Amino acid sequence: MAIRLIATELTEQERDLQAQVRAFCEEHLPRGSFEPGLGMSSGQSRDLSRELGKRGWLGMALPQEYGGSDRSTVDRLVVVEELLRRGAPLEHHWTADRQSGVMINRSGTQEQKQRFLPSIAAGELCFCIGMSEPDSGSDLASVKSRAIPVDGGWLLNGTKIWTSNAHFADWMICLCRTHDADNPHQGLSQLLIDMRSPGITINPIPLLDGTADFAEVVFEDVFVPEDLLLGEPGNGWTQVTSELSFERAGPERWITPVIIVENFLRENADSLSPAAVDFLGHTIARWWGLRQISLAAARMIDEGLAPALQAAIGKDMGTEFEQEVITALQQLIDIEPSLVSRSPFSRLLARAVLVAPSWPIRGGTNEVLKGIIAKGLR
Amino acid sequence: MSEQDLLFETADRLFAAVCTFDEVQRAQNSGWSDLSWEACNELGLTRIGVGEDAGGVGGSIADAVALLMAAGYHSVPLPLAESTLLAGWLAKAPGVILPEGPLTVIPNKANDSLRLDGAKLFGTAQRVPWGRKASLVLGLIDGHIIGVTPSQATVSEDVNVAGEARDDLSFDGVTPVLCERAVPEQTKQSLQLMGALSRSALMAGALLRVADITAQYTQERKQFGKAIGSFQAVQLHVVRCAEQAAYVDLGVQVAAREADRGVAAFEIMAAKTLANDAARIASRAAHQAHGAMGMTQEYVLHQYTRRLWAWRSEYGDASWVHHLGEAVVALGADHHFHVIADGSASGISL
Repeated sequence: MAIRLIATELTEQERDLQAQVRAFCEEHLPRGSFEPGLGMSSGQSRDLSRELGKRGWLGMALPQEYGGSDRSTVDRLVVVEELLRRGAPLEHHWTADRQSGVMINRSGTQEQKQRFLPSIAAGELCFCIGMSEPDSGSDLASVKSRAIPVDGGWLLNGTKIWTSNAHFADWMICLCRTHDADNPHQGLSQLLIDMRSPGITINPIPLLDGTADFAEVVFEDVFVPEDLLLGEPGNGWTQVTSELSFERAGPERWITPVIIVENFLRENADSLSPAAVDFLGHTIARWWGLRQISLAAARMIDEGLAPALQAAIGKDMGTEFEQEVITALQQLIDIEPSLVSRSPFSRLLARAVLVAPSWPIRGGTNEVLKGIIAKGLR
Repeated sequence: MSEQDLLFETADRLFAAVCTFDEVQRAQNSGWSDLSWEACNELGLTRIGVGEDAGGVGGSIADAVALLMAAGYHSVPLPLAESTLLAGWLAKAPGVILPEGPLTVIPNKANDSLRLDGAKLFGTAQRVPWGRKASLVLGLIDGHIIGVTPSQATVSEDVNVAGEARDDLSFDGVTPVLCERAVPEQTKQSLQLMGALSRSALMAGALLRVADITAQYTQERKQFGKAIGSFQAVQLHVVRCAEQAAYVDLGVQVAAREADRGVAAFEIMAAKTLANDAARIASRAAHQAHGAMGMTQEYVLHQYTRRLWAWRSEYGDASWVHHLGEAVVALGADHHFHVIADGSASGISL
């Protein structure tokens, strides 16, 4: 049967929060005071992360007893959309705030929660994700990294790849095989890895735009204390598939080109063709609709529902739309975008041309998501 | 469960029983379905969203929109949009009292020649839904809410691409049976907006149905020894239909909510724009998934895709996109995101 979403809107309290975040951004991130980034690949600022942490705007849905603010998924949406649309540098806390903290809160022991969650909510810790491997991309259950039990913990060997921010990260949540099982979905576990542990080598993988956020992470006899296994031993598959399955439809899936279109409008307001005006009208409608999906899915999470299909739809549609926007912009204006142009629009467009293909890939490829949606429609 | 959910379910049950595939085909061939009208009338569904003073049963815009979504889901072959949402909106003018029976509303096409001269009506109203069958034809002409009967007009019968009656009505100095001064918010543009909301709601329902039909067909139809829905290339079409339906469904809900609060020009234009896009994207995907079967009269898909194509052209398509674009430009880059986040409340002037 068809997939439906129920309309929702910001409450008065959520609007207050939005006003506070807007005021914060006016003060700390005024336009021109920093080079804006694109969405989740926006650079690091430990200071910004700490400032957000101080205001209770990280780990918002985490319990107060662990340093969170007992707030909601919608509150987090309100905060991140204001930051993302300005291209603020969020990478330091992004993964921890969006998923690692949620995972630890969901599956962790009391000690793990006490140890990690307050620092996540304070914006101190940077997490990275240890899922993909050289031979395991979308088929995640085939991971070969293996941890064998040793005295007091585990000994981990293997290689993770496509790991964003590995060289900055303090911790990784790593999916690896800990038990032998006939079914590849069994026998996997998640380990919390201190990225400063002996035996870890981080090899940067330069991206096609010249940046080096990506890395391969090699584990050679890395010792992981037993109290750093997250959740149930052997239950890693269930845990990892729930990671992001609901949170997938956040604003980061549609908001990335907003700043580019804004600058396009700012720099070309006096010379817009009728096609450009239509483009602005068409995209504003579609952006509004996509934001309604993010908001409705976030509200469902807060109501204790599991909007896995709704979130998959939001991510699939949002990231395809983002790419369409970049393509359409290039058809509207004859410029050669340049990474060092004096025009912010040109710089942002140049970066977007290079990185836009990654948007429908990261966070579960759109092909895999379509498979999930199709299965859900049966 | 909200009031709208209840209403949708009630209407859904009735339409499923009455507006069957065969009945919709019969209505297409004869131009009308008495059976459908009487069944809706008996349950009081034909005047939802029309104030009690004007002869209706009351209810909000969101209520009427929920009814129209259900009507779209069953391709109900009646002027329900006109008899409920649009008549209700026109009846906000003091003194407007509506008769029994199917109502219709003059859609004010761009090159209509209709005018009030003194108290007499001259000119032609184009593409009036079921103009030939209406007990009263309502219109917003020269600052007045008018009502005329088809017998006062020269009727030139036509249909839209879905086979729904769309008639041209010509008037040569007749005196309307109803003529009341419109209230200030009853402008031609706001009538176009209410029309757009009504079509968006019908389209949301039709899109949900197209998604359901396509998901079901691709599970039942077998080729190469298995359901065609197990092929990834076909799944892409199924998913596109479901996505577009969910997108428009949600947008229409928000637009209806805001319309009940008063200012919803942005939300309605945006919702109709999404619905128009979806009509193109989802109908193409659905037909591709169905192959030749989907192109026939005997199979149900055309009852929905043809309506999507027809409703896409009614009450604004490219014009809304351009209008939105001009408003975004006028508001300026600094407020661009506020429109996305806050809609009409951003102060966008439409």
